[in-house]
Amino acid sequence: MVVLSAARWVRSRLSDRFWRVQEVLKYARHFRGRKNRCYRLAVRSVRRAFVRSTKARREKKRFLRALWITRIEAASLEHGLKYPAFISNLLKSQVELNRKVLADLAIYEPKTFKSLAALAQRRRQEGFLAALGDGKEPEGIFSRIVHHH
Amino acid sequence: RYVRQLQRLQLLFSPTAADARGAREFVEEAAQDFARQHPDVVLYVSPHSGPGPAPVLRAEYLNGTVRDELIASKTSEEIAQLAIKLANQSGLDIIRIRKPFHTDNPSVQGQWHPLTNKPSILTVQGPRLQPQ
Repeated sequence: MVVLSAARWVRSRLSDRFWRVQEVLKYARHFRGRKNRCYRLAVRSVRRAFVRSTKARREKKRFLRALWITRIEAASLEHGLKYPAFISNLLKSQVELNRKVLADLAIYEPKTFKSLAALAQRRRQEGFLAALGDGKEPEGIFSRIVHHH
Repeated sequence: RYVRQLQRLQLLFSPTAADARGAREFVEEAAQDFARQHPDVVLYVSPHSGPGPAPVLRAEYLNGTVRDELIASKTSEEIAQLAIKLANQSGLDIIRIRKPFHTDNPSVQGQWHPLTNKPSILTVQGPRLQPQ
């Protein structure tokens, strides 16, 4: 009997079920409880973990900014300045450093941060003189604005 | 000057298996052109007779990483493109890099410690006064 095509009632069985299951379980290995072993529970947990990780990317930015602000606040208090005064006076003296860089400077370059705090303090004093002195004294040196064209 | 990070490419396939057809065609036609265009990569063709493991393109890099790519049931052009892709890679692992920067000396002025901004009387030990 010549058979030209495979008999139609023979159906192929799934042979790589193990690897399909491992693809999911490999992301669940560090979970707690049965979710790291049992596929049925792991599928749900892995999906939730992925969803949470995508949503958390927006919060990571907020969290890191709050961390930097805390660190800059601590460092500027060591030099006798509060955070709002420090930041506002730095901006008024046209030092446009962002909070990430300021936090890194405060940790790794303490002397630079001390000089920045001194600059902010001096600008603050000049601001007070300009607001309260009214007119007769000349303008402060650090209050001058440089125009880049 | 540019040093290609790919050391050698090994084509392991069986001359009779059905899924190694693309590999055989690649060896017949495009392997010589590939070897000529990439003179600093050594191309080894090792056919193993009889039923064996699946046809594989093994890439070894200068830092020791070995990367196997399955070429079962791929056309000759696809294998050529794969070979070019592997030749342009370096051997670093393909994982998420946490930070795009790295320094061995992060601090020039000395890292902050709780006693950096305190008066130096706390840290400096003067000459010890001998009991007379």
